Amino acid sequence: MADALSLTAYDLWKSYGDEAVVQGISFTLAPGEIVGLLGPNGAGKTTTVGMLFGTVIPTRGFVRFGPWQLPGQGQLARAQMGIVTQEDNLDPDFTVFNNLTHFAHHYRITGALARQRAGELLALVNLEHRADAQVDELSGGMKRRLVLARALLNNPKIVFLDEPTTGLDPDARQDFWRLVQQLKASGCGILLTTHYMDEAQRLCDRLLLLQRGKVIDEGSPSDLVARVIGREIAEVEGVAPDPLRDLAARQGAWYRAFGSGYLVSLPDADPDAMWQQIQAHRPTRLRRRPANLEDVFLRLTGSVLE
Amino acid sequence: MKLITATPWGVYSVWWRHFQVYRSTWLVNFLPPISEPIVYLLAFGYGLTPLVGDVEYLGQRVPYPQFLAAGMIAIGVLFQAFFEGAYSSFIRLNFQKTWQALLTAPLSFTEVFLGDWFWAATKGAIAGTLTGLVAVIAHLYDLSSLVLSLPLIVLGSLLFGAFGLLVAGVVNKVDQVNVPIFLIVIPMFTLSGTYFPRSTLPPLLESIANLLPLAALVDLLRWPMGLPPQWPLLLLWLLGWMVVMARLAALRIYPRLFS
Repeated sequence: MADALSLTAYDLWKSYGDEAVVQGISFTLAPGEIVGLLGPNGAGKTTTVGMLFGTVIPTRGFVRFGPWQLPGQGQLARAQMGIVTQEDNLDPDFTVFNNLTHFAHHYRITGALARQRAGELLALVNLEHRADAQVDELSGGMKRRLVLARALLNNPKIVFLDEPTTGLDPDARQDFWRLVQQLKASGCGILLTTHYMDEAQRLCDRLLLLQRGKVIDEGSPSDLVARVIGREIAEVEGVAPDPLRDLAARQGAWYRAFGSGYLVSLPDADPDAMWQQIQAHRPTRLRRRPANLEDVFLRLTGSVLE
Repeated sequence: MKLITATPWGVYSVWWRHFQVYRSTWLVNFLPPISEPIVYLLAFGYGLTPLVGDVEYLGQRVPYPQFLAAGMIAIGVLFQAFFEGAYSSFIRLNFQKTWQALLTAPLSFTEVFLGDWFWAATKGAIAGTLTGLVAVIAHLYDLSSLVLSLPLIVLGSLLFGAFGLLVAGVVNKVDQVNVPIFLIVIPMFTLSGTYFPRSTLPPLLESIANLLPLAALVDLLRWPMGLPPQWPLLLLWLLGWMVVMARLAALRIYPRLFS
């Protein structure tokens, strides 16, 4: 793609007073790639995104996007960016349609061209039947889709989605994910922040796991799960902890108390042998399931995502 | 604060957004600047003229309604520009997050700030001009004088719009806008020689009132009755206030958007 642009963050740091909120984050986002920043609330995801498009000035480090460098050239860079911020900032003074045509004006898209583009985007996000509605009349999911449509007015080369599905019901989240995948297929680079494990696993090509402003690990969701945990997890309840811990230690498996029970990883080499040994302890509840990113996060940070 | 480029299009585009909101409810928006001066001119002009008769201004006697007209123009400018800058910008900044949304487009802080400021000034200028037209129809101000006064109306609108934006940048709750209204705006609009010549005030109060920016604007708008002797200084005084207010407003609002 001739006009594709990559974004690279170089050693981004951000401190507020004595508190370092982001500490040395570096990564590259290529065209057509979805990179996710996954971490609990307060991990520094939104601050990082702010530095990428220019509303947060890094204490150290910089961002390069195509020919531009931020901070400094944010205004020029944003002409090729689409930004979906976490907070809803649609214009309550305008209809759904005019939210798009009037915002297009800022990109010098005016008149018939603006109306045409607004129509296309409303069709893309399935809001064409609500064109004349007021923003206040839209559901949460519709509002998020409209913010996404607004971010696409300029055919951006890169889109930032900051917690785009927080507060949406499962159907609305599925709708939104479909749009994100369409966008990726069109060659757009996407940076997604989320604290939803399923969203990260489903959408992202590559993940940066964030804890207290630092990247603690990175890789594709499946690689991370395979490398950090393995293929399967046993959820165990109602057994004495010591024999279970000893069993895990002997097998080189990961073991952790969790809720009212325990999580034990089953070794990839011979999961059934370990499974039978756990069964032999006669737990009151036993469940075998594929390992996921939540387990990865738990193992790496000792804490759950939310 | 970083000096960021501002393009004419960017500033215009932000201004245009505010104009679109205004345009959609233009009838409601035109009502206060027309009805307010008519009410004042009727109430004070016709009500007080039999009691007051002529007033002494710059050593000459002028009919009271004529004296009042320039004051009404200045008040129209003050109220509309200040309220747009203070209340509406505060709402756009803190409730509607319009500024934050605009900054996801390829717009700089300077462009969004100037767009908001010029919009507040536009509302002040519309109010001042409409009030002036009412005065022209009532034969209290010449049409040609009004046309020549337009730059003054614009200058006053920019000054009070910037003052409004400064308030929007300083207060944390919308109710707090009332504080500068009661402490500054209302004393200013009553004491600046709008309804009566400042020479009737006690000397100390008169000296304070003479320094108020609205006083300079009113005196300059009364130029058809005679230019105040130090008028170039008054112009500079207004320009100085405007620059200081705008600069302070930008310095206060910038950290609310960029961290």
